[in-house]
Amino acid sequence: MPIRVSQFNEAPADQELIARTLGGDGAAYGLLVDRFQRKIFRVAYAIVRDESEADTITQDTFIQAYTHLARFEGRSEFETWLTRIAINRSRDSLRRRKFISLFTGGDDDDERTMLFEPVDERPDPEREIMARQLRVAIERAEDKLSAQQKVIFRLRHYEERPLEEIAELLGLAAGTVRAHLFRAVHKIRKELAEWRVQHQGISDDDETLQ
Amino acid sequence: MTTKHFSEAELLETYYTQPGESMPVMMHLAACADCAARYDRLEQKLRGLAACDAREIDDKPQTFWTRQRMLIMRGIDARKQHGEHVSRAWRVAAAALLWFVLGGTIVYRTVDVPKPQPAAAAVQQKVQAEDPVAHDAWQSDELHDFHGMVQWETWSDGKSNPKTENSL
Repeated sequence: MPIRVSQFNEAPADQELIARTLGGDGAAYGLLVDRFQRKIFRVAYAIVRDESEADTITQDTFIQAYTHLARFEGRSEFETWLTRIAINRSRDSLRRRKFISLFTGGDDDDERTMLFEPVDERPDPEREIMARQLRVAIERAEDKLSAQQKVIFRLRHYEERPLEEIAELLGLAAGTVRAHLFRAVHKIRKELAEWRVQHQGISDDDETLQ
Repeated sequence: MTTKHFSEAELLETYYTQPGESMPVMMHLAACADCAARYDRLEQKLRGLAACDAREIDDKPQTFWTRQRMLIMRGIDARKQHGEHVSRAWRVAAAALLWFVLGGTIVYRTVDVPKPQPAAAAVQQKVQAEDPVAHDAWQSDELHDFHGMVQWETWSDGKSNPKTENSL
């Protein structure tokens, strides 16, 4: 009987787990979930910026992947495939949120204002406040972006993914992603410039806000 | 060396778009210690912001991931059961349709329904009725009473059958 490579390792390969799942072994899929759920949650959270929504998206991603597992041809890594599903779901979620906000006029500024609360236990509270405010400013600036720009910017900003990888994940040309990112960064620059004018009095020594 | 110093906005753009790809900026940063230091601080801050997220996620308790995994597996089971239910319903519907069609066919073949005369046969009959060669007019009901005279005329024309002539 041929000995499989994975028998020597503790962790079976993704492909092997997929084959076992397709063969009816539910526990094998549990191992795949365990392996990737953190990464998928992180991507979803980076895009939607809401923990509960990211949780739901992560669950939906794995359920959808299971349903269409037979269609996975293995041309890309399983993780890439999962990430694509998660990104698509997150983008849908952003669009849905925007659509709903058209009718409700909802704005979660109040929630963000809470982030301005200082944390004095830190070694450098002033810097910590600046960092928090910068974070809020970026989040506010993000609201001005379209769903696609948000996805691209957030994957770049929070996940620090290179442009080529973002292009591959979104199924777009690298040039298109670059153009979206340029536009997004321009809007963010503008928003941050306004923020700087408003908060200049807080810290004059901190020249690099940014 | 480029003497123009870059603004924070330009450095921000460099960071997000493709660090290292913007040659004028990178060349300037290599030569200008001031701008390089500003770029480093900027990069540190932005990376720090991103790292906050990663830390928050990494710090999540194991119970969070266990619960999430459990919900995923439960969702998959529910989806499977739903799929089985739907496929069973489809199978029942298909079987019912098949029985209905088969039953209908059997009933149709068993019950003796008087068949209407086919249109083609009716047309052929009409043609035969109108064709003088195919139909002997003397045999019609209208000329039945004159049958004797018909026989006499045949005899007088000398076209009677040979048996009659011989007897004469």
